[in-house]
Amino acid sequence: MDIILWIVAGSLLPWFPFSWIFNRLLVSAPGAWARALAVIVLPQLGLLLLLKSGAWYVLGQEMPIALRALALFTAILYAYRAAGTRDVQIWARFMATSGLSLTWLLVGLLPQHWDMQLFVLAWSIPAALMLIWAGVLTKQTGASYLGLSGGFARVLPRLSVLISLTALAATATPIFPNFFALLQAMESLPIIWMPLLLLVLLLWGWTVGRLLQDLLFGIYHGEAVHDLSVAGTWLGGLTLGVFALVGIFWGGIWIIN
Amino acid sequence: MDHQLTLGDRLKVRTMIYVASEPIPRFWPMRTFIHHNPLFGLEHLHFEEAVEEAGRLFHGRGYLSRSEYQEYWQAGKVDEKALRKYLRVFLEKHAEDLPGISMEHWLWSLLTRCQNEQMVPATDWLDGQMLHAVLHGQAPDQDSETQKHRLQDILSHKIALDGPVYANVDRLFGTDIGSTLDDLLVKSCLDFFDEGQSAWQSPGRKQGFFAAWKEVAQHNVRFFLRGLHLRNLLESEATPEGVVAHILRNLKVPEASWQKYITRQLTRLHGWAGFIRYRSTAKHYYWAEQYPADLTDFLAVRMVLGMALLQEAVRHHACPANAEEIQDFVHADPFSAYLRLELYTGSILPAWAQPVEDVLARRKRSGFDKMAQQYITAKSRWEAERQVKNLQRLAKVMGAEAEAELLAMTPDQLDRFLEIIRAWEKQEGFTWLRSMESHYIKDLVNRIHIPQAPAMAEEKRPFAQALLCIDVRSEPMRRHLEAIGDYQTFGIGGFFGVPISFLEYGRGTEVHLCPAIQTPKNLVLEIPAKLELEEEPLYGALEHVLHELKSSVLSPFVAVEAVGLIFSLGLIGKTVAPLTYHHLHHKLHAEKPVTRLLLDKLSPDQADSILRAVQRAMIVRALIKEWNVPRDQVTDDDVKELREIALEHIPGPSALARRRNLSAHQESEFIQKLRDIYRVERHETSLQMERLGRIGFSLDEQVRYISQALLLIGMNHNFSRFVLLVGHESTTENNPYESALDCGACGGGKGLPNARVFAAMANKPEVRRRLRDKGIIIPDDTWFMPAVHNTTSDVVDLHDVDLLPARHLLYLERLQNGLSAATRRSAAERMPQLGGDAKLAEDPYAAAAMAQRLTHDWSQVRPEWGLTRNAYAIVGRRELTQGLNLESRAFLHSYDYRLDPKGRLLETILSSPMVVGEWINLEHYFSVVDTEHYGSGSKVYHNVAGRFAVMTGNQSDLRTGLPTQTVLKDGKPYHEPVRLIVLVEAPLAFAQRSVGNLVKIKALLGGGWVRVIIMDPEDDYRAYVLEDGAFHLQDRTETPDRQTLLEEIA
Repeated sequence: MDIILWIVAGSLLPWFPFSWIFNRLLVSAPGAWARALAVIVLPQLGLLLLLKSGAWYVLGQEMPIALRALALFTAILYAYRAAGTRDVQIWARFMATSGLSLTWLLVGLLPQHWDMQLFVLAWSIPAALMLIWAGVLTKQTGASYLGLSGGFARVLPRLSVLISLTALAATATPIFPNFFALLQAMESLPIIWMPLLLLVLLLWGWTVGRLLQDLLFGIYHGEAVHDLSVAGTWLGGLTLGVFALVGIFWGGIWIIN
Repeated sequence: MDHQLTLGDRLKVRTMIYVASEPIPRFWPMRTFIHHNPLFGLEHLHFEEAVEEAGRLFHGRGYLSRSEYQEYWQAGKVDEKALRKYLRVFLEKHAEDLPGISMEHWLWSLLTRCQNEQMVPATDWLDGQMLHAVLHGQAPDQDSETQKHRLQDILSHKIALDGPVYANVDRLFGTDIGSTLDDLLVKSCLDFFDEGQSAWQSPGRKQGFFAAWKEVAQHNVRFFLRGLHLRNLLESEATPEGVVAHILRNLKVPEASWQKYITRQLTRLHGWAGFIRYRSTAKHYYWAEQYPADLTDFLAVRMVLGMALLQEAVRHHACPANAEEIQDFVHADPFSAYLRLELYTGSILPAWAQPVEDVLARRKRSGFDKMAQQYITAKSRWEAERQVKNLQRLAKVMGAEAEAELLAMTPDQLDRFLEIIRAWEKQEGFTWLRSMESHYIKDLVNRIHIPQAPAMAEEKRPFAQALLCIDVRSEPMRRHLEAIGDYQTFGIGGFFGVPISFLEYGRGTEVHLCPAIQTPKNLVLEIPAKLELEEEPLYGALEHVLHELKSSVLSPFVAVEAVGLIFSLGLIGKTVAPLTYHHLHHKLHAEKPVTRLLLDKLSPDQADSILRAVQRAMIVRALIKEWNVPRDQVTDDDVKELREIALEHIPGPSALARRRNLSAHQESEFIQKLRDIYRVERHETSLQMERLGRIGFSLDEQVRYISQALLLIGMNHNFSRFVLLVGHESTTENNPYESALDCGACGGGKGLPNARVFAAMANKPEVRRRLRDKGIIIPDDTWFMPAVHNTTSDVVDLHDVDLLPARHLLYLERLQNGLSAATRRSAAERMPQLGGDAKLAEDPYAAAAMAQRLTHDWSQVRPEWGLTRNAYAIVGRRELTQGLNLESRAFLHSYDYRLDPKGRLLETILSSPMVVGEWINLEHYFSVVDTEHYGSGSKVYHNVAGRFAVMTGNQSDLRTGLPTQTVLKDGKPYHEPVRLIVLVEAPLAFAQRSVGNLVKIKALLGGGWVRVIIMDPEDDYRAYVLEDGAFHLQDRTETPDRQTLLEEIA
């Protein structure tokens, strides 16, 4: 029974190799909105499963080194894979997997349920937004693949700005909540493990750089496209703004405590 | 070492490179920016063909987009009649086999109402059958045999055997060798061609580009880290042409294709290639003399780097290593090749990009062929649907009849229909252009004044006459000057017909002040009239120290805190109060002393004496700067001795060094500086002697130049008291393109020296005596006076006023008042167009103040419009255009055919000023129609490269054209791109004879590089327009158009 629980938990709150199932589940969701919902709901379910079953607390008594290593390995692997893809949808999935896997480092650290849930949401929300933008991009250009011509900044300026900001939010850029989440994860690690977490950070920097380069620079050669509506832009911007404010607030509480 | 290459082989390779480089226009360094036709190398072709060829070579477009032309059409700037005429001519040739289809209606709607840039885009698979199927809601179908044949065609077209191997590998494997190669090559070029921008110079440059690069490349850590194995390649052959041949053979490029292959290699970075081409052929170009390089070197470096990168790709990606292997690869698996091509060239359907990339990343590709076939089906359908959508959208705009026509067409008819539209779209840009030009031609012909009295009547002597450059910016100045008083103006090439090589006082190198197509024979030396050479003001010395600190490699680490703040003073001053800062700065600087020009030919003794004097002056200056020894502590003998040591006539140490207890090392260092920096050196001395032999003009030459210039502009009588020779220049800050705003007729230099030379010659009694013999009688009280028109501020400054005879001083104030008034009026006209308030048009003083500010505002990206909007060149008497507001759009060259019985003067005008005008016009034309390929993009991203050009970002091809800020306003073309419309006032047969005598001009006119109108004064001023190789009568409308009428009333 325990094994099944760990497999299910590892599939919903991803760690390797079950992260593959998490990604399959996301891909199989019909449409961008469903994927966005899934990337928010599935990790929360995984977390609830761990918390309600008491497995989380069992782990909390002594953090197994193997689990820590596996969590970091998952984060590194998916960050590296994200750097290799030019598809926004795949990128969002990989980055979500990479970020969410760090939750496993917090075993025994955060006593409050809501703290844990916020930690997971900090990775899920930007991923969900990114999946929605990927859907919009697919609708406009036929795919969310950025490697063909680039230069979307000129033809889809509003969408490009939102994708850029969301990508920064997804990679734990300061003021967004996952930046503070990352600091918490850092705190949980003995100093000797720190280089691995720094490697994750480095890979995220690389991957977001590549994504933005493909998105913003170059000359667009494709068919004529329509940008995101003004209302959609405001909504997306507002969501990101609230997300950033929560980050500052949450980060502030964490620093004060 | 070159064991396989004979001398003949080497020459063959060099010849190929020479021929391959012919289409690449030379690119002059930006210090003397030359407006040039970017398609100069293709001028042997007709304009339309050249544009097409340039599209293949430089990937640039030759016309505006359809929507931009439509905007001009809606604004009434396109001659609709002409547009329809050209359309009908096209249809006569193309549309007879499509009965029942109203092609004229279709194409006219396409022209004027279609928003798509292209109605029938290039496709791989589309044909009439598929189009027909999709039009009728059926699935398009293509049998597999046809598909296979078509695939072979596509691949052989896109992966050509004679295409660059690395480019084909990039297309098939996404290896990005091309851009990496460009980056590495640009870096190598920047290292070698630097003209003093870098603090540390690349070693061994005197050996030449390839040899120096070869030496460095073998120890280049960056190449090593990239895993490039250059050693074997570099050791394969010794000479650059040997290396080129060796690599071409290794790449298995068929020898018959070498020429084409080399052209493609050179045109990839045509900015750099153009600069190297210019440099290798320029005369007296210091940097080229010091550090030689030619296109063979450039190509060899490119080929070596390209080969090394290809070898690296072969190791990592197991891709084909030469042209034959690429063909084998493509033929072995055409489906895979096609999918790769689609993916890596970015033309794949977006939805397929990720799956195809995934499959290609796998080692085993099961079901790959099936996937490729599915993709081809999807692509065919997509192409057909896109085409149907385009056609239906157009048909909808046209009406129900067109929609019915579209549906009724058979597959064969649809094929033909698409073919016709394709053919039309190919020539549509040229049609728009000609129709736009037709509008401008009609407008000009209608507005031109017809002189009332053809015979030369007795004329009133004007208060002053002014000869201004033909430059379009002189037009408002001439108009305002004539409007405010008794002034008569003439237009002449800004070098006043006197080509000179000018050595300015305080400068080490000479500049050619004449059209770029000429090479001056005579050198003019500027020498100071006041002898205060050795005193350097404190501020100048301080500035020198700061400059040295700034350019030093180490000083930023130690001096920023100490002196960094000083730089902020300039920064704040220039930003907040540019004019005040400039005045203050100007006061602190020593003024340039009064100078005179050495005009007369020198005897050998005189030449030697001058050279000694100059060298002594340089040594005195060096002693002050390098050793801090003031002039009063140095004797003439000391200077003489140092000179002798520097020239290696006697050994050191000098008496001065002994007296000041300087070590032998210190002295030898100083001597070396004398040789390197101050040019007191043996080789330089012999060069200088040779130059001194070129100094000045003989009396015959002076008479010839003056008489020719005066006759050229029809000025052989009625000279006034003042004849102003107004050269022009611009003043701007922080502007690498500064010289583009200077005088094009002076090779991008300032026109004042030529004006001074002309005035000095024309004021000589001996010259005037001889002119009288030629029938040009210049009264004794006529004084030729040089002046300079600053085109940014519109200020006209008089020069050499100290030479003015006393009797003229009485009139000087009136003259200056008149010039100042014209300055203000002209500024009032221009400033509202430069972002100033519209009210400035009514406030000339405020407008002049704004213009003055623009000259010193370093944040200004557009201090003046320069030659933008140029459209016309008018060769004829001033009566044709007097009082007409030509809006700074016309080059005005004065000419009176009655003084030119043999047509020689007209030939001179056509072969020089008109060619300069054509270059300027086409530089602007192409910079507008393609701001990225022919223009230089936005100034915002520009960085100065090696002090001779600009690049975009920190590394790119040299940007050769004009920036968008010069030709666009608010993102739309401010320069209306039409070819130069040249109007010549002369009898038709006479003009035709003159053109016939000039092979190059005949080709230019015949090839449509300029549009020509001949207004025949002996045939009631009928206008004849040259089109399609023949002159056609252009009717003048009975009444002048509204604008002209209003101007005349005013």
